Amino acid sequence: MKYSMLFVAFCSISSLFGAEQFKTVPTQEIEQNKMQLQQVRADLAQANNDLAQANDIIEQNTREMAQKERILEKDNTMHISVVGQGVAPMNTTSPAQAYALAKRAAVADAYRAIAEKVKGVRIDGQDLIKNMMVKRSTIRTSVKAMVRNANVVETTFKEGLCEVEMEIIISHSDFI
Amino acid sequence: MRSRDGNHYLSLRLYLVLLLSSLALNASEYLISYRYVVKDAIIYNESLYISKTMKKCIGKPQNELILENTNGNNLKTIISKNSEQFYEYIHKLGLNIQHSEETTNMQNTSTTILTLKTTCFKVDFNDNFVKISALK
Repeated sequence: MKYSMLFVAFCSISSLFGAEQFKTVPTQEIEQNKMQLQQVRADLAQANNDLAQANDIIEQNTREMAQKERILEKDNTMHISVVGQGVAPMNTTSPAQAYALAKRAAVADAYRAIAEKVKGVRIDGQDLIKNMMVKRSTIRTSVKAMVRNANVVETTFKEGLCEVEMEIIISHSDFI
Repeated sequence: MRSRDGNHYLSLRLYLVLLLSSLALNASEYLISYRYVVKDAIIYNESLYISKTMKKCIGKPQNELILENTNGNNLKTIISKNSEQFYEYIHKLGLNIQHSEETTNMQNTSTTILTLKTTCFKVDFNDNFVKISALK
């Protein structure tokens, strides 16, 4: 009991002395750290400048693109014109039926063309190469859209091929 | 004693009420859906479904189409007789387009599906014409 009390007292005294020990850091190391910090700050400022410059370039490019390409702006309308093609099936009973069915197919093609122009196309490609040779090359495209108020301008039917010219006028408010 | 003008207006009002109520009685609602498939630029399948509604539709009539009517109150017959006009009208309302195309070793195949989702239409049958308007 006596020894244990002594041991506890010794431990507490030693811990007290241990807590009073301060870590000494050389001045050179502090100066070095300061220099590194300044360097980091300078790099950060440089990076910010670069970012601002890049943003300026992007904005300028977008403006140039807008001037070159037609972009639908507020309170403006855009006129889109397409031509769709369709073929009559082989097993038609009359030329009138052939014309009607070919026209239906041509209208569908024209709608597809409008959707591609307005909304865009999803494209997926896959090439299979075996023994350094292309075995199979596949391209898949798909379009999904809703088109309303498209008008048929002209329809021609020649040698089983029907061509439909279709136009649509879109305004900025249609997309809000 | 009433004046002659007063009686005239009363009869005119009565006539209008009767006319409007008779028009309202002849109006009915139909559900119509339309879909056609085009494969490799050739029409493959076309379907038009018409049915009377079992519940009242919600919406206001818009974009009306007037078709000639000589066959009573059968909408399917009237539409089949004026199919070109009706299909044009349906196209104007707006169709969903689903197109997929595949090119394998330079050989191309494509499928386009145009769909009018089931839409409620108000149909007014009259003596010589039918007024169809989409409810939106």
